[in-house]
Formats: sequence, C-alpha cells, structure tokens
Amino acid sequence: MKRVLIANRGEIAVRVIRACREEGIESVAVYSEADRRSPHVAAADMAVEIGPPPAAESYLNIERVLSAARRTEADAVHPGYGFLAERADFAEAVEAAGLTFVGPPPSAIRAMGEKTAARRRMEESGVSVVPGTTSPVAGPKEAAVVAAEIGYPVLLKAVAGGGGKGMRRADSERELQGSFQQATSEAMKAFGNGDIYVERFIEHTRHVEIQVLADTHGTTVHFGERECSIQRRHQKLIEEAPSPAVGPELRELMGATAVRAARAVGYVGAGTVEFLLEPGESGNFYFLEMNTRIQVEHPVTEMVYGVDLVRQQLRIAAGAPIEADGRSLEPKGHAIECRITSEDPFNDFLPDTGTIQYLNVPSGPGVRWDGGIAVGDDIGLYYDPLLAKLIVWGETRAAAIGRMRRALDELVIVGVATSQPFHRLVLEHEPFTNGSYDIGYLEQHGDALLAAADDAGELERIAVAAALAEHQRMRIASPQRIGAGDGRVAGSAWLRAARLDGRR
Amino acid sequence: MKYEVTIGGGDGAGKGRLFVVEIDGDDVFLDGRRVVARLDSLPETPIRYLEVDGRTESLAMAHDGHGWRVQVRGRVRAVGVVDERTRRLRELAGGEAKSGRSGVVKAPMPGMILRLQVERGQRIKVGVGLVVLEAMKMENEIRAPQDGVVTQIYVEAGSVVEKGAPLVELGPSS
Repeated sequence: MKRVLIANRGEIAVRVIRACREEGIESVAVYSEADRRSPHVAAADMAVEIGPPPAAESYLNIERVLSAARRTEADAVHPGYGFLAERADFAEAVEAAGLTFVGPPPSAIRAMGEKTAARRRMEESGVSVVPGTTSPVAGPKEAAVVAAEIGYPVLLKAVAGGGGKGMRRADSERELQGSFQQATSEAMKAFGNGDIYVERFIEHTRHVEIQVLADTHGTTVHFGERECSIQRRHQKLIEEAPSPAVGPELRELMGATAVRAARAVGYVGAGTVEFLLEPGESGNFYFLEMNTRIQVEHPVTEMVYGVDLVRQQLRIAAGAPIEADGRSLEPKGHAIECRITSEDPFNDFLPDTGTIQYLNVPSGPGVRWDGGIAVGDDIGLYYDPLLAKLIVWGETRAAAIGRMRRALDELVIVGVATSQPFHRLVLEHEPFTNGSYDIGYLEQHGDALLAAADDAGELERIAVAAALAEHQRMRIASPQRIGAGDGRVAGSAWLRAARLDGRR
Repeated sequence: MKYEVTIGGGDGAGKGRLFVVEIDGDDVFLDGRRVVARLDSLPETPIRYLEVDGRTESLAMAHDGHGWRVQVRGRVRAVGVVDERTRRLRELAGGEAKSGRSGVVKAPMPGMILRLQVERGQRIKVGVGLVVLEAMKMENEIRAPQDGVVTQIYVEAGSVVEKGAPLVELGPSS
C-alpha cells in the first residue's frame, strides 16, 4: 500500500491523512466544490474535486470516488465514518476496481448493517440483545402490537440505521403513529430504506461500547470500553474511557462478548460493538449494534491504551498481523472527548451557519485537537455539523475533567455558534462529575443546565466591554459624520488616527 | 457619555438584563459604581482583551449593524448598547412602534418543509407540532410557542426556507 484515497472530509479525513503521513503512505483527498479550501484538501499529498456540494453528487457518489482513485493511481481507499463507510456495495466496488478497502470485508458490513439480521445472528451466537423484533414490522399497526407486548416506552429504529437517524421514541400508542412516520421518512431519506423495527426502550441505561481490532490472520482483540451516554436525540456529545460504570471484571466480560460478536461475522479491521448497560449492580448488558468502521470517538481509546487505531487499520489492510501477546490490556488514566459541533445549545441545538473568522485551538499538556476547520471556512448545511473533537487525557477522571475545563476555556471559535458552552456546563455538573449519569441525562437535566448559565459577574464584564467597544466605535465613526459638513476632516485617515491616539 | 446596555440571550427575545455604563475619559462607572476598565483589540481579529478591576479576560466582539455580538468561552450573546443622547432622541421622536409579541412562528434554521401538521383555522395548544423542517437530514418538529388559532400558513410541503422565514401565524385563541 503506497497511496491511500480518503473518501471523506472534515476532521476524520485530516485524521486519516495524518496516520498515512506517519506510516509513510501518500494520501489523496477528495472534495466537493464547497470544500475546495478545506483543511483536509491542504493536508493531503494530492486532491481531486469530485462534484457539487450535495453529498449525493460528491462524497456519496461511488463512481466519482473510484474515478478519482484511478486518476491518482491510489491503491487503497479509506472510507472514514459516515458517507460510504458502511455501504457494502462500496467496499465491493473498491475491491472490484482492484483496490484495497481499509475496513472489514463486504460480507461483515452487510451482516451487521442490516440491524434485524444482526440481532438474529447475535442471539444465535449467545449474545443478549435488547428485547424487541428481529425482523422489520409491516407498519404502525404491527409496531403497536409489538409495543403492547414488550411494553412502552419503545424505540423505533431503522433497519438500515446508524448515527441516530431514523430513530424515534414512543411512550404510548398515541405517540407511536407520528413517531413511526417520522422514523420511516427519515430512514428513507438517510439510507434509502424505510424499514423499521421495534425495541424496548430501557430507561436509565448507559451506552457502553467496546473497541475491537481484528487482523487477517485470525487474531481479534478488544481495547476496552467507551462510555457514550451523554447524548442528544441519540447523537453522542461527550465520550469517555474508561466508563465510570465498568470495572475490570465487567470489562473483560463485555470485551470477550464483543470479540465473539466480531468473530461471528468474520470481522477484519477496527470496529465497535455497542451495548446498553443496565443500571445498578446487575452488570447486565445487551447488544445494540456493531459499527463496522472507525468511530468518531476513537481517540479516547487511543489515549488510554496508547494505540493508534487508524494506523492499525492501515497496517491490517496491508496484511500485517496485530502485535498482541495474549495478555489483556488495562486502560491507563482517563480520557474525555467533547464533540465541538456547529449547533447552538441556547437555540435548541439547531445547526448554525457562518464563516470561521477566528480560531484558537487549545493546547498544552494532555490536550488533543482533532479538527477539520480553519479560518475562512464556510460552515454550511450540506454536511454533518461536527467541526472538531477536543480530547484530553489525565491520570485520573478528576484530573481529566479539570483539564477539559481548562482546554474548553482556551478554545475560541468565532463565526458560528458551537456546542462549546454546553460542554463547559456539563463538565461542572454533578451528575457528570460524579459519574452517575445515564442516557437520560440531557432530557432530565439539559434545560435546567442551560437556563442556569448566567453568572452575574460575567454579565457585568460583558456590559462594560460592550459599552467601551461602542464608545470606541462612536469615536471612530464621528469624524466621518462631522466630515460631511467639514471638508478639512473628511477622508483624512491621518487626522482620524491622530484623534483616536489622542483618546488613548 | 452614559450607555444603556441590554444583554439578551442568544437570538431569542428572552429576558434581557439592563446595565448603565458611564464612560468619562478614563473613568468608567458600572451602575454608578466606579470600576477600572480597559478594552484592547487584537488587530485584524474580532478578539478583545478586557480588564475590569484587575481581572483579565479575552472576548470576541462584532457589531452586526444593530448591536454587538459578544462571545465569552463559546457563548454568544446579543448585546444592545444605546447612548443616552440617542435614547432621548428616540423618545422625543415618539419612539419606535413597539412591535408587540409577534404571532408569527419563524424558521429557526434554513431547511426544507417536509410536512404541515396543522390547518388554517385550527385551534392549537402550546407545544403542538406545526411543521416538520428538515435540515442536515434530521427532521425537526417546530412547535407552537403559545396557545392560539392558526390564522395563516406561509409554506407548503417542499418549500425551501431561509432562517427567519415566516412559517405559520398564530392568532389569539378566543
């Protein structure tokens, strides 16, 4: 493998390009017309424009991506996450073109991609799944029958799903109709397949997932868990490793189960097995799904296990064996990741748009920034709102929390509203700091958390700043105003500057 | 010069807080209390360094034609600043017509209207879903901010709307 094309954009494209550089492999970026000046284009060794801004005509267009690979004589394709990453037909097309797909075999993607088939297969291999259907339901009526059987609340999920799209909760039969329609139409749009299945929604569970890595020589290992329970509408916002709810024994049990799940589908490469962990001491956990790609939140695992998962992906794709001595690995210290998205927490997390005017990236001990933005970038609505990930490592969970607060305070992104202030509030909030939170966290605490955000001293300082800034602005503007009737001053920049200096 | 400073939330017309800041040469008074303050700019950027009574802070500030947008640790606030003279002039001119609480529900972000969930003339309660707006492949239900009757619908399924575009008008419920 000498040249890898990265069929993605944003932070994950930059992340993969960095791994290629470190492995001594050349990288090829692809980009849409909207991304001409994006950081991933500048970071790569070569770059090919593949179409207009809508993803369907660029990043999701298999033919254009492959044609870019042919033109640049790339010999492998890394799909990143999202876009084509979990499309078995894409992996097949890459292989048919004589290129290496940096990811699992198409058969494994297919086996896990169809969520109901994956549930059946997991049950067969003795892995517990969340109670619900193992095949799609015919419509809202059948969903209601199933829901009455397993009990409300239920979760309606897209058979082709992923990333929280095509997923809706229903608390009663009355709600089911509308939720079903929304889930179906969202699934249709996101995946081209509107099939829905039904799962019981278990309250107060935690979302805990296991990172696995498998090579082509029959070795499959796990790298412990990530805790991803801080979510909004099934979209993860904050992740950490290890989970405050998982000890060494449970880690081994969940890890072994994840390895079994991966082996059941002949998995190769980096993958993630997602579980729901029941509250309390029971330690019961249920298989949710397997993501057959690198995850957004992979860095927290990298920080506590000292592994570079993307470089491992590249080595495994090139046929190298995993260097494992059979001993199970223990996480060292604690890592936290905050997803910095262009969503405004004070406007119901709606996506914001704008141009990045200024960017100050946190640095210093134990801080990592996986970003895909630069000054001048237009943040539009064509793509996912994830701008960057801020990751910290600390000797203990408390140290990591303190470090994340410090890093968030250093971060400045001007031009678009981001999730940054939300993270800062969560990092001070007791259910997070004591580690007791579950997937209901945001629903339960979100509104109060955001409403209580005003600090009197801060508002006073803002008022002083605004008055001073307005005062300065008026002083700059006024000579021009006078100038309308006073030719001596009008247009004289020197005089204006002299006046300004006089006021300092 | 005396300035009246109103700090709102984000875009919302939520409760603002009012401060009076008087600037007289190098002297600054916040609600009558003297503070030592200075504001410096980082050239060619929106970044300002603020020092108030020895406490330093960096903020991002931009004037959008109507008022200031002030960003501290990622939180953006709309801040209105009116100097006393301008305020008096406005009052003398009869003030601007107070546009009472508008009954028009606007698009909170650009996107495409997927479905209408109400009809003209329909009586609705606060929280009822009015339209479903798709942005970034997510469906967002826009809900009624108050009880009322749907008096006007400005969009239809398939309409592409900009942020702030009127969607539905709500009249009083009786």
